[in-house]
Amino acid sequence: MAETIPSAQSTEIRPTGEDNVIEVLDLHVHFFTTLGVVRALNGVTFKIPRGRVLGVVGESGSGKSVTGFSIMQLVQHPGKIVKGQILLKARKDDQPINILKYDRHSQQMRNIRGNEVGMIFQEPMTSLNPSYTVGNQIQEAILLHQTPDKDEAWRRTVDILRRVGMPNPERIARSYPHELSGGMRQRAMIAMALSCTPSLLIADEPTTALDVTTEAQILDLMRELQKDIGMSIMFITHNMGVVAQMCDEVVVMYLGRIVERASVEEIFYDPKHPYTVALLRSIPRIGLSKGEKLEVIKGGVPDSYSTVTGCPFHPRCPNFMPGICDKVMPAETPIEGNPHHTVRCHLYPGSAAEAEVETSGLAPGTAPAAS
Amino acid sequence: MVNYIIRRVLYMIVTVFFISIIAFILINLPPGSALDAQIQRLRQQGGDISMQQINDLKERYGLNDPVYVQYLKWIGGAIHGDFGQSFTYNAPVGELIWSRIAVSVILSLFALIFAWVVAIPVGVYSATHRYTVPDYIVTVIQFVGIAIPEFLLALLLLVFAATVLHMDAGGLNSQQFQNAPWSWAKLMDTIKHIWIPVIVIGAGSTAWLTRVMRANLLDVLNYQYVQTARAKGLKENVVIWKHAVRNALHPLIMSLGTALPTLISGEVIVSIVLNIPSDGPLFLASLQTKDMYLAITFVLLQSVLLVVGNLLADFLLAWADPRVRLE
Amino acid sequence: MAAARGVAAEDVKRAKKKDIGQTSQWTLMRRRFMQNKLSVTGVIGLAIMYFLVLFAPFFAPYAPDDQDSNNQFQAPTSIKLANGHFAVCPMVQKLNTSNFTWTYKPDCNKSEPIQFFAPGFSYSILGILHSNIHLFQVKPPTKIYIFGADDLGRDVLSRILYGGRVSMTIGLVGVTISTVMGAVLGTTSGYFGGAIDNVMQRVIELLLSIPTLSLFMAIAAALPQDMSVIKRYFLISIIISIIGWTGLARQVRGKVLSYSQQDYTAAAKLAGAGHMRIILTHLVPNSLSHIIVVAILAVPAQILAETSLSFIGLGMLPPAVSWGVLLAAAQQVQVVEQHVWLLVPAAFVIITVTLYMFLGDGLRDAVDPYS
Repeated sequence: MAETIPSAQSTEIRPTGEDNVIEVLDLHVHFFTTLGVVRALNGVTFKIPRGRVLGVVGESGSGKSVTGFSIMQLVQHPGKIVKGQILLKARKDDQPINILKYDRHSQQMRNIRGNEVGMIFQEPMTSLNPSYTVGNQIQEAILLHQTPDKDEAWRRTVDILRRVGMPNPERIARSYPHELSGGMRQRAMIAMALSCTPSLLIADEPTTALDVTTEAQILDLMRELQKDIGMSIMFITHNMGVVAQMCDEVVVMYLGRIVERASVEEIFYDPKHPYTVALLRSIPRIGLSKGEKLEVIKGGVPDSYSTVTGCPFHPRCPNFMPGICDKVMPAETPIEGNPHHTVRCHLYPGSAAEAEVETSGLAPGTAPAAS
Repeated sequence: MVNYIIRRVLYMIVTVFFISIIAFILINLPPGSALDAQIQRLRQQGGDISMQQINDLKERYGLNDPVYVQYLKWIGGAIHGDFGQSFTYNAPVGELIWSRIAVSVILSLFALIFAWVVAIPVGVYSATHRYTVPDYIVTVIQFVGIAIPEFLLALLLLVFAATVLHMDAGGLNSQQFQNAPWSWAKLMDTIKHIWIPVIVIGAGSTAWLTRVMRANLLDVLNYQYVQTARAKGLKENVVIWKHAVRNALHPLIMSLGTALPTLISGEVIVSIVLNIPSDGPLFLASLQTKDMYLAITFVLLQSVLLVVGNLLADFLLAWADPRVRLE
Repeated sequence: MAAARGVAAEDVKRAKKKDIGQTSQWTLMRRRFMQNKLSVTGVIGLAIMYFLVLFAPFFAPYAPDDQDSNNQFQAPTSIKLANGHFAVCPMVQKLNTSNFTWTYKPDCNKSEPIQFFAPGFSYSILGILHSNIHLFQVKPPTKIYIFGADDLGRDVLSRILYGGRVSMTIGLVGVTISTVMGAVLGTTSGYFGGAIDNVMQRVIELLLSIPTLSLFMAIAAALPQDMSVIKRYFLISIIISIIGWTGLARQVRGKVLSYSQQDYTAAAKLAGAGHMRIILTHLVPNSLSHIIVVAILAVPAQILAETSLSFIGLGMLPPAVSWGVLLAAAQQVQVVEQHVWLLVPAAFVIITVTLYMFLGDGLRDAVDPYS
């Protein structure tokens, strides 16, 4: 399968020389479960330019979260990064380094986590340790990466809490997580992730568990802080509305592969891949006349252990072309006239260049730990 | 908080009061008392004893009163530390009991500490090295550890010490110190002996706690905040011990309450087998000779220990878990 | 996308259901149980043990109270192969004049063959099966002692098999009583709540504050010494169940409490179902598997309780035979030191309890894999 991909992508596997905070090249992650190998990521390649926000969109089990955890080298057992490179260029003038060279428990990797790359999670209710005060947990990161001075670290803790819009930050710092509301906790998580001014923030569905009003506040806050600090954000979500609000560029993932990448405008106004089109059609929107049914994507994500040949989306695809889609894996091809908008679909010329006939075996799929 | 403490202490007193009634009824249940045995003995020694004398004796021990009067008299005294008279030893119960209760408390406490000190690291290791050979070994030892009753372990240890090591593992002191007053040498001698009962009493709890610790930690390791801690760049050791273990301890502290009765039971029976001068052997003897007040006092004091232990466990939990603190 | 996600989740659910087919809850439990090697070991091991003790007279070469002054403290017989048959060497008894104890020496010049399915003492099993055939016998006056003999020359193996009849069932009787008590009181407490629940919980807490063993000892000591074996057996099992029900009642109460807050209970109430009906059709079936598991897990503690009580001379008393009674003979270190085989009953206690724990653990995992 994916590991045998020949030409088309191999040309991509080198740093581009642009100023990208992170470049993920041909990333493969497998989960070695007792029931078989689950291929969660099958050659994922993307980059995030400095100061930009990349949206990673897809259904549950498409491998969005695994991608995020891979950058931290925190993919949980039995998952393993089996192939690929992750190039980190923390400062503008740094040389990009392949962080997969470092052992996941190494000092170098720990220096990257929390310091160069921060991460916030989906569940604000459980992502803070109930046994320690919020301040204690933020201070811990600052003490680890920034200053050994406890008083200084505490001052910075209160500062960052103020910066994420906490009223009375001194009191909040001395509170335990269970004393705060969901939105407050997510603010605290953002404060923790930003406490060491990372160059990249990975936000794994940070607003999914929040109500709409709080969601809007948190998104505003993130956007504002992103501009202030000048960091990049990898924004993992399944919510297209949030993508429109937050992102500069978008990659759409389906079953461990990127099926389309484009700027946020192009994704919304000129979507190419049938899956992206279907995703957009299923958003409820004002102007939808009464009685008109909201479109749904027929079928479900195939489960992790079943077999899908050809394009993994073909069983659900409205544009399914027998003989091609169920036989040949489409290659990633740029749209004519726009090299920055690529799609992985046989509807567009050039896709069959990667004439790879699918063999049997386990299909790419979701991982137990994903999303 | 103050309100909570007062309520708990009041509740504790009521519990102990009820237990004293139950114990009193139970021990008064069997026909005959140690007094009858004593009368028998006197008869054998000095021939005839008149009804008058028997009545005098009964009067002296208050056995002619109805049961509830006997109880009220006894509990009235007990509050002031007077637990009545032992028939067989012909001495106040209080005199016989305190040193033995002290030994029991020390043994149970050490066994508890031993269990925790062993169980936590072993459980953590077992959980973080799941499905490895050491984990399997630990799991098997746990099962067997829970399956062997304390008295059997004590017995096996005694036999092992006698046949292989050619030493006497029983008792708390070597022969020359047994009746000696406390001194530095006796203390050292005690320390040399005390580890055997401590390990035997603590073994079952250790096995059980290891299992609980392993399960809890596996549970906690799935929580998001563990990933948060890792994402901060903390060392794996810090993640495990500061963030995961700290939270996995809460159920362990909660289980202290249920672990205490097992511990005290184990201490009683192990002391009987190993012949340790704690409450065990004397309690058994008092039951066998129907030495009423002595037996009741043991049950009562053990209950007090239990109830106080439960209270301390609750306070410990409130201290350890900020979520409990508020309620 | 909320909609897409919902549909996907729905589909996944449907797919999973199809995958498993229309298997009932009990089939699933049985399947999970059979996958666990330890629990299967537990079932098979216990079946063998109960078979052995049920047919104890057949497996035992001698009656349990069959004394033999010529074979006091006889060591386990060594078995050898002679003329293609298993045979035992008769023992020659000698008096050691220095310390006046009997010493035994095997005399293998005239070995006695072991006869299988040979007649011995007559017996009846459950009052229906009358026979005098035993698994193995040797011709008198030679005797076969697989596990040696005790102070009165009684065969330890025969006594263990007969003792198992008491030790392996007294726990069951106790557990049955405490299960019924615990289930009834726990259900009542959990279902009706309020004052009933409050009183019940206080009573349980009270009972739990009494040191278990001391209470057992006090009650057992109150039993008259000259009681018949059967009567004592039942009284002791009742004593053991007095404390046992509290733990079970608590667990059942918790379960019932959670079930009685479920919508289907509310629906049944609104439909006008009576208390009895709700309890019997909704609450009991739901908590039944849980009750069984808790009951099985309670058996080891009760077996150990009987053994401990009998060991210190407050439980079963000679002439009754139980494992605790047999172990009581091993109380003196000086005796055991010389005659280690007196500890063999301990192995049976440990094996039985371990098997029960395997079984209970496996059942719990099968019934409630997420607890």
